[in-house]
Amino acid sequence: MNMRRLPSVILLAVIMAVVAAPTVAADAAMDPKAAEVMKQIDAAEAARKKAASVESEWTTTGKLIKKARAAESKGDYDKALGLAKEARLQGEIAYQQGASQSELRIPAYLKY
Amino acid sequence: MSGHCDGGLRSNIEPNCLEKREIMKKTLNKMAILLLLGGVVFTAQATTPEEDRAAFVKHYKFRFPDVPMEEYPNGAYAIDKIGRENWEAIEEFPPYEPFIDEGQEMWDTSFANGKTYKDCFSDGPGVASQYPRWDKKQGMVITMALAINQCREANGEKALKYKKGPIVPLLAYMAFESRGQVTNVVIPEDDPRAMEAYEKGKKFYFTRRGQLNFSCATCHVQNTGLKVRTEVLSPSLGHTTHWPVYRSKWGTAGTLHRRFTGCNRNIRAKPMKAQGEQYRNLEYFLTYLSNGLELNGPGARK
Ligand code: HEC
Repeated sequence: MNMRRLPSVILLAVIMAVVAAPTVAADAAMDPKAAEVMKQIDAAEAARKKAASVESEWTTTGKLIKKARAAESKGDYDKALGLAKEARLQGEIAYQQGASQSELRIPAYLKY
Repeated sequence: MSGHCDGGLRSNIEPNCLEKREIMKKTLNKMAILLLLGGVVFTAQATTPEEDRAAFVKHYKFRFPDVPMEEYPNGAYAIDKIGRENWEAIEEFPPYEPFIDEGQEMWDTSFANGKTYKDCFSDGPGVASQYPRWDKKQGMVITMALAINQCREANGEKALKYKKGPIVPLLAYMAFESRGQVTNVVIPEDDPRAMEAYEKGKKFYFTRRGQLNFSCATCHVQNTGLKVRTEVLSPSLGHTTHWPVYRSKWGTAGTLHRRFTGCNRNIRAKPMKAQGEQYRNLEYFLTYLSNGLELNGPGARK
């Protein structure tokens, strides 16, 4: 190897290492399960908001999402995933509950 | 090959089965909703406020033939003999009395600008029967609590919180001064938005909410007189006559919208904002139902 080129080769190596380092670190932190958890938490949050948009949110849903986030931050991904999925299902049912009642219907036990 | 689609390992790889599982899931959700709505038959019809009120009166008269109309402002104690004895004992030394006194002091104290509540409420403190009312200019239902804060803000004072705290004594004093007046909610015909607000309040009342999937009517119409834990469910006629209420469970007095919040939470439904549009419209509808009933606030409840 031409010794005159050595400094630039070293420089290039350093640059590459610096650029690559965070990516490598992020890869280590973002194991696929963690990514899946975040996806589910986002989906749960969206479902909760959709239910709220028809004034039908349950008090339980936000709590589940909070718990899911806490479990996620502790690295307990399985637990977080379960909680997020439950929250998402709640949001979806709550939305349907609200949307299915977009028309006023007076129950028949109240006789006019 | 449907036999492979029942959750075994193979079903996870077969695209056909994945699709089937999706359908299953959707069906399950639909079933959940059907279950949620289960058992109750509905009628869809347009009814006038007077027809609504008449239907509630008829319902409770049928359920409680011995209870005269003028008893309804007493809530559950109109229909629960044991609860009533305790309540009558409590009413001998009313726990809300200090609130009335404190409220009178507030009423008599001038704002920083030298004006008083009297400058906003020209008829004096006893004006509860004028609320809630439709305000054409603002295009919204104005409750007495909201009117108080509009008065404060117009005079450079900070708005008070709506569920508990200093607004409660002021409301208590005004309610006390209004005793003997008769509920008289008007839905003016010259502004269709007023009827819309009433209809929205009615819709809120009959909409099932929360994880328990109950509407106000589930508890306060269908199941009135039954017990939830230790409490007898009150009829909705009379629900609005006696606020604010000193509630033993709260250990203090609170507003009607605090009660709405609690009733929403009980069924695990996220409450609306106190004095937000939903609860004000609800109050408009609910108070209309009590038209003709005497105001007897402030009240005491378990
Ligand atoms: C799970 C049943 C349940 C549902 C649903 C429910 N409530 Fe209640 N509510 C109660 C109970 C229990 C009490 C306390 C006992 C009583 O006075 O009925 C109460 C009390 C009240 C009171 C106070 C009554 C008084 O005499 O001071 C009001 C007003 C009220 N509810 C309004 C509503 C409205 C409006 C809704 C719908 C948003 C609603 N409730 C939904 C159970 C329910």
